[in-house]
Amino acid sequence: MTQTFVIVGAGLAGGGAATTLREEGFDGRVVLIGAEPRPPYERPPLSKEYLRGESPFEQALFRPPDFYGENDIETRFGVRLTRVDATEKVVDLDDEESVPYDALLVATGARNRRIPIPGLDLEGIYDLRTVADCDRIRAEISPGHKAVVVGMGFIGSEVAASLRQSGVEVTVVDRNTVPLRRVLGEEVGRVVEEIHRDHGTELIFEDRVAAFEGTGRVGRVTTQRGHRIECDFVVVGLGVEPVTDTLAGTGVEIDNGVLVDEHCRTSVEGIYAAGDIANHYHPVFRRHIRVEHWQNALKQGPAAGRNMLGKNEPYEEIPWFWSDQYEHNIQYAGYHTEWDELVVRGSTEEQNFVAFYRKNGLILATVAVNRRRDLRRSIPLIRDQVEIPASQLSDPDIDLRTLAGGASSR
Amino acid sequence: MADFVAVSGVDDLGEGEMLAFDVHGTEIAVANVEGEFYAFDDTCTHLGCSLAEGDLEETTVICACHGSEFDVRSGEVLQGPAREPVATYETRVEGGNLEVAG
Repeated sequence: MTQTFVIVGAGLAGGGAATTLREEGFDGRVVLIGAEPRPPYERPPLSKEYLRGESPFEQALFRPPDFYGENDIETRFGVRLTRVDATEKVVDLDDEESVPYDALLVATGARNRRIPIPGLDLEGIYDLRTVADCDRIRAEISPGHKAVVVGMGFIGSEVAASLRQSGVEVTVVDRNTVPLRRVLGEEVGRVVEEIHRDHGTELIFEDRVAAFEGTGRVGRVTTQRGHRIECDFVVVGLGVEPVTDTLAGTGVEIDNGVLVDEHCRTSVEGIYAAGDIANHYHPVFRRHIRVEHWQNALKQGPAAGRNMLGKNEPYEEIPWFWSDQYEHNIQYAGYHTEWDELVVRGSTEEQNFVAFYRKNGLILATVAVNRRRDLRRSIPLIRDQVEIPASQLSDPDIDLRTLAGGASSR
Repeated sequence: MADFVAVSGVDDLGEGEMLAFDVHGTEIAVANVEGEFYAFDDTCTHLGCSLAEGDLEETTVICACHGSEFDVRSGEVLQGPAREPVATYETRVEGGNLEVAG
């Protein structure tokens, strides 16, 4: 009997999984279901090149639109999953269709966090997840327009930079002391702060939005510490949360997303998860990690697809992402939530360095500002998980490749 | 007949190394893979970073900015985010000079 593999979520992870199933020779039915009315695309340009109008949407498409039909991948775009019945092995969709499955991949991603702030429903307040969101923000961009960006994580930072580059006057409000503090810490966050100040962005830290004000449309943002910021529009970037509601009652274990083992398998046989939604057991870090970045979606989706075919391959890519802000290239590799030592190679003052986040002497993660080669060469050191003297890591004359235990960087 | 331009001495580009040269106004990278020279557009087709400033692993050049990978022999994309291949050029060694067909 023909098998049916259903993939819900048509982002990069879902699209990649569908593609991989065909590449690996799976000859059953592949059904790819996505809430957005368009084929899978890459999101990194949405806060950068596409937002600034420098690249067309077509360039962000994961595969050409005809690819899916040509590869016998059935698609349901613009359709939402409403329920998974893990006993009957069937998914219900909001267009009333039900699709039975033999294996199911959940790659529905995350949604933007909405914080209840008075006035959030006014017009002119946006957040950014989809190309449709991005188009709404783009329509507001015009030189001299004033924007408030709420939250200075990676999305907030990139949006603030792109708006500035497009001639918009930008004020950022963030509750921390420096941008990206939660991820990168105070010392590196301060470098990012300087980069934004150098480009004329107003930065308000250790403060929160009290209310969005205006009649019908936002015209002012007030903060808890008494700032009143006139603006033409607002972009809110306060992080994302995994979308797991549709799995209620399936027995799939949920904890900060969908818990999966190193093979992207959930606690229910036949159900897999990948991408932003998956809290995946990572063999290198020996813990569950949930990664919300491009490379993870790009590679974990196909890994899940192979495991749906019984390949039994652990997914152990070292997480990696970039964040271009203005003319600066910022990259991060690894995964860390805490560290006891930060080793720096290069100069934070000159905005050219790679920093190693270490705990108990082991490198958990690295971040680089304008030091792209060293970042790439640090990835094998994260994978190796061996202790390297800090003096060698910080010495710019030592090629990081010579410190790796013979592992390839790829 | 391609118009070859001398870009450097053949000994100035060691094995496993890459350098970029301006050839008639185009930045062209040359990689030395075990004594074989491969020339290709230095400008990454993704967002324009210099590929010579990336890493060379055997016959693969990895862009240091965003991780795109190209085969230096054919210019084809081995891994995104780049979508388009880079152009490749002929090379030859003449009288101790490395030459690129620009």
